[in-house]
Formats: sequence, structure tokens, C-alpha cells
Amino acid sequence: MDFAIPLLAPHLATHLATPPATAPLPALIAQAAASPGPALVLTIASAISAIALVFLMRPGPVGVRIAATVAGLGGFAVLVVEALKRAGGEEGSLSTVFPVVFGTVALAGAVRMVTHPRPVFAALYFILVVIATAAMFLVLGAEFMAFALIIVYAGAILITYMFVLMLAQQSPTENDGGAWYDRVPREAGSAVLVGFIMLATLSETYFSKSGQSFRLDAAERSAFDGSREAWARLDGMPKLMLESSRRALEMEWEASGAEGAPPAVVEVVRNAKGSALRLRGEEATVEVKLEDGTIRSVLLPPGLVPDNSRQVGVDLVSKYPAGLEIAGVVLLMALFGAVVLARKQIELGEDERRELAGMRRLTVEGESGGSGGIR
Amino acid sequence: MNGITPLLLASSDAQAVNVALLMSALLFACGLVGFLSRRNMIIMFLCTELMFQAAALAMIAFGKVHHDVSGQVFVIFILTVAAAEAALALGLIVLLYRRRETLDSEAWSELREA
Repeated sequence: MDFAIPLLAPHLATHLATPPATAPLPALIAQAAASPGPALVLTIASAISAIALVFLMRPGPVGVRIAATVAGLGGFAVLVVEALKRAGGEEGSLSTVFPVVFGTVALAGAVRMVTHPRPVFAALYFILVVIATAAMFLVLGAEFMAFALIIVYAGAILITYMFVLMLAQQSPTENDGGAWYDRVPREAGSAVLVGFIMLATLSETYFSKSGQSFRLDAAERSAFDGSREAWARLDGMPKLMLESSRRALEMEWEASGAEGAPPAVVEVVRNAKGSALRLRGEEATVEVKLEDGTIRSVLLPPGLVPDNSRQVGVDLVSKYPAGLEIAGVVLLMALFGAVVLARKQIELGEDERRELAGMRRLTVEGESGGSGGIR
Repeated sequence: MNGITPLLLASSDAQAVNVALLMSALLFACGLVGFLSRRNMIIMFLCTELMFQAAALAMIAFGKVHHDVSGQVFVIFILTVAAAEAALALGLIVLLYRRRETLDSEAWSELREA
């Protein structure tokens, strides 16, 4: 258990007044107990949740399970409140409700999946986790990946799992509640301890500096900052850039109430660095060359920012083409591997094996010498 | 830029990112606990999928922090690896089940050394 101490010590020490890094753990605990900082609260809350998880994993009376659920939820609520506090900003606003709700659903599904004695139900709870995670992706603005996750995970991978479960699972008899190896966990206590250490290191990494890193000056930033990167990505797509500037000119033309069709755009003017986009404050403009040779500046409306799936696609093929190819090869190899693994094993007799190895059959009557050799 | 992307977000985004990171840590811990303590081989591999989910969630949250879609692109690769792993693992489980007629991972414990 010695390895746990260096991992837990920084977690305990997170918000103490700069303790020396080599301070022994008891000293740190004494210091923390003297002035309970948020790090200690976090550690205690996750420890309570971890102990509750141990009780949930073991088969036990209903009362114990309910008490463990309540304790686990309490510890979890403390963790969430602490995470929200560290983000800064106004608390209890509507926009924080969604991540908290979806996160709670995902975590409840995960705990139920780990603790449920029936494998089929565990797989169904995992589908719930997938859907809740996809909702979190939506909250974080990753629309394409949210739907890809549901299609690939809930639609394909989980169905394969269900097939194998149905294929390999012995059906439970009336009252025994399934196979014993599904009901009794293996060393739940030490497994949860390892998980707790993992959680401590992860939350230490995420939140120790969150005071500086993920909390932000809301006043100085505007919604435009996120789309600045998106506009910059549009700059790398010449064809789409030309199309967008045509659309923008059309919209400008209609808004001005001018008669007839707008002048056709021949090309987008690029500066010496090859960039066509001018970002000024909150506005993105682009200079285009019209068919009569004049150059004019067009304001790109915010509606023309490339959407999430377009950005992901362009990033995928322009920045990571090698990764894309390797992913294809990995899938192909997995296909071959699965076929080879699941193929029916054919038992060969002694004679067939000798024949495959290029040797003489043992039971050949009459003929001998080199005529039977495969090589 | 000097290689340092400013970590600036609106406050609601920062809250969503923090909650998502907390969730990814918790989901990963859950998956780890399940993988270590469950005996059913199918559930063990299901728990590795749970850990994949947690990693994907962290990728997307950090991508949000840096205003970068590369995090989302890496989730595509995670999905690929998860699909490949599922295909191989389930093939393996079917094979093992045919040999011993049980899904209990303890049935294979004599593979350990000594």
C-alpha cells in the first residue's frame, strides 16, 4: 500500500498553504484537519462514495443498499458542488443544470452497471450511460460525436455484446438469481480502493490548478471567441470560403434592397500569408474580386460559421490523414482476428498433420518413397 | 501564440467543462472497479468500454477548453479502437466459453504463473 501515499498526498495537500512536497502524510493530515480546506472535503466525500460502492457491490439486505445509495449520492453531490464552485461564475443558472443532470444519470447508470447481478441488465444500463454521455457531448458542443457515439456504441457495439450474452449466458433458474459468479464480486474492497486512488490522482490533475485554468473571466470574453477558431478553420477551406462569400454577398445584396442579381464573385483575395479572412473585433470580413475586376469587402454573418461536423471532418482529413488510414487497418485486422478466433476448430488426426508438415503418412499401404511428399 | 492556447471560457462553459471532467474521472474509476471486481468476462470487457467513454468525455471537455476540434477527432479514433476491441474480445469470449462452458474468469486462473 506504500504506493498510495505519494498519490494521495498531493490530493490532500491541494489547497493547503504550500506545504513542503516531502512532508510526511500524517503531518499533512494534521495540517488539513486543523484548517479543513476544499481538498479535504473532496477527499472525504469521495471516500464516503467509495465505501458506499463497496456495500452496493456485495449482495446484502435492502436497508444497507438504500443507506449506501443515499451516502453515495451525498458524497457525489459534494463533489459536483465543489467542481461548480471552482468554475466560478454565477451558481444555479439554468445552463449548469444540464451537465449536472446528464452527469448524474451517466454515473448512476455506471454504478448500476458495475453492481447489477444480471449481465443483460448491466449491458442495458451501459446503453443508458452511453446516451447520457452523448448528451454531455451535446452540452459541450460536439454534436457530430454525440450522434456518432449513439450510432456506434448503442447501435452496434452494445448489440454485439447482447448477442454474445444471449449466446454464452446460462439462463438463470427460477430463484437462484443467476450464476454465482455474477452475484459475488471478487475482492470488492481492494478493487474500490484502487478505483479511489485512481479518482484521487485524476481529480488532483484536473482540479488542483483549476482556480487558474478552467475558471475564466466571463466579463472579458464574448461568445465570439469560440467561433474565432471556427472562422480560422474556414480560412483553410478555399472552396467553402468562396461559396460562403457568395452567400454573404447575396444576403448583403438582399438586405440593401437592390434590384437584380448580385455581381458574381470571381475569387477571394488573399494576403501575402495566404489568409483571406480579416477578423476585427467581433466581425469576420473577407475581400472578394468581382467579375468586373473591382474588389470589395464582404461581411460574413455569424450563420456562415462552419458547423461542428464540417469542422471535425476537415480536421480529420487535413490534420490526421495517417491516423485515419491506421484506423482503417486496425478495423480490418480486428475483422480478420475475430473471424480467426471464432472459427470452428477442426481436430486433425495424426496423418493429416503429418501430411500438412510435408511428411509421409504413417498408414499408407503399398507406396513409399518421395511420391507422397507435398514438397 | 507561442504554443500556448489561452484557457478562457464563458462561465457556463467553464462549469460544464468542470462537471464533464469530474464525470469522466468518476466514470473511469467506476469502470476500473468493475473491471477488477466482476467475474463475468463479458462484464469485464463492458467495463473497459466504460473507461473508453470516460476518456472520450475528457477529450471533448479539453477540446472545449482549447477551442479545438482535435479532441473530437481523437474520439473518432477511440471509437475505432473500441469497436475493434469489442469484436476481438467477444470472439475470444465465445472461444473461451466453448472450451469451459462458463463465463467465470476464475475458470482460467491456472494460466497465472506458478
